[in-house]
Amino acid sequence: MFQKPNTSPAADIVGVEHIGGLFSYAMVLTRNRNEAEDLVQETYVRAIGAMERLRPESNVKSWLYTILRNIWLNELRQRRTAPQRVEMDVEGISVGIGTKTLDDDPYTLYVSTLERNRVREAIQQLPAESREIILLREYEELSYQEIATILNCPAGTVMSRLARARAKLRALLSTTWQTTAQSGKEVIE
Amino acid sequence: MSAHDEHHANILLYLDNELGGQELEYLLAHLDECADCRRLLEEERALSNLFHSTRPLYTAPEPLRARIAAIAGQPAAFGDKPEGKQNHLLRFGWRNARRSGFRWMALAAMIIVVVFGLTLVPTVVRHAEAATFIDTAVATHRSYEEKQLPLEFRSSSPEDLTAWFAGKVPFQFRLPSSQSLPGGHPAYALTGARLVKFRNENAALVTYQMKSEAISLLVASDKSAVAAGGDEIRSGSLTFHYNTRAELNVITWSTHGITYALVSSIHGSAQHSCMVCHQDMADQGSFK
Repeated sequence: MFQKPNTSPAADIVGVEHIGGLFSYAMVLTRNRNEAEDLVQETYVRAIGAMERLRPESNVKSWLYTILRNIWLNELRQRRTAPQRVEMDVEGISVGIGTKTLDDDPYTLYVSTLERNRVREAIQQLPAESREIILLREYEELSYQEIATILNCPAGTVMSRLARARAKLRALLSTTWQTTAQSGKEVIE
Repeated sequence: MSAHDEHHANILLYLDNELGGQELEYLLAHLDECADCRRLLEEERALSNLFHSTRPLYTAPEPLRARIAAIAGQPAAFGDKPEGKQNHLLRFGWRNARRSGFRWMALAAMIIVVVFGLTLVPTVVRHAEAATFIDTAVATHRSYEEKQLPLEFRSSSPEDLTAWFAGKVPFQFRLPSSQSLPGGHPAYALTGARLVKFRNENAALVTYQMKSEAISLLVASDKSAVAAGGDEIRSGSLTFHYNTRAELNVITWSTHGITYALVSSIHGSAQHSCMVCHQDMADQGSFK
């Protein structure tokens, strides 16, 4: 049901390639590693149950992100009316070195990890609305229309929210950003 | 959308190579004559480069990938489950219920960690528990600041809040009166409270306002919450533990079976943080 015909291993399962992106999205929504894992897992559980209703031409990636977001919004609604269970796992946020391989020299790896952690910390300081739009557009490279579908708002709203979110982030990241700007400055034609 | 917002949006589209035709020509012509927009373009380009260089933002843990692969590879098994059971298993938060394949391995690993931890490295365990309480206090503070945790009871009276918590938390909670600075002005103002959960037990969240700063106090039973580590400040029989997390300062301490975590964005050293509220008070000399 959740597998391409005539294949069996996990690598060929439809939608599994989005685990990384969904986990990042879950992290910026929940800001908690355990909750993010739960959220991604629950997303796949729900998706498997609803696969039969998915049309062949459907955008599986957007669909999965929408499911994840809806589960999280429902969870938040329930929390507003019940005592909270909050167990932040801040240490877990700094774990992971992304796509860097062991072939990178230790210094590059170190700088890259520091830079990523700084960006993560800045993003996590933004309001939820800004966090998710930065992630969806800048890291998951979803189109404005795909993001509009996920967030259930017009594409124009996505664009204006993104511009605002980037402006806030630029202010927060000013030190990191200035360093990058100096090293990678490009001349405008 | 204002003209400035429109230029900003078009600059983002331009950076993504998604601007064409007349809009592209219009933007390029505008950039020729607008220094502000040229600077904005440079800044946005640098920010985009930073995003590119820090991808992916997070990496999904391998155990999670394995679990999802197992779930996705066994759709029939889920379909066979009785409806009621399935619904129970699918509830968000019941993470372990979905991991039956890993249950015994996880249990064995947990037992090893607990046995070795408690017998060989109790200090490490204690500090890890303390870190969990601090992280929870910080997350709770952030959620409160972002209005995701609305107050359930608003009052500036310590006595009223103490009465409100009676029977709601598994410890004897009593909030002392706020201390006043000379001249009768309180150093901070109590704003309200709500219940939160810490390790499946009710805990108390009390909030204060000090000028424009929000201050929160997470209070839990010392059976579940530990205060340890960080810079230690002693005041009488109490030991305060000062830590920083994500630009927030956290001071934890335990007394009379209760552990407290005070979270604020007030900057400074451990002793300075205490002095912010206690600088003109009679007990100021007791913080060492």
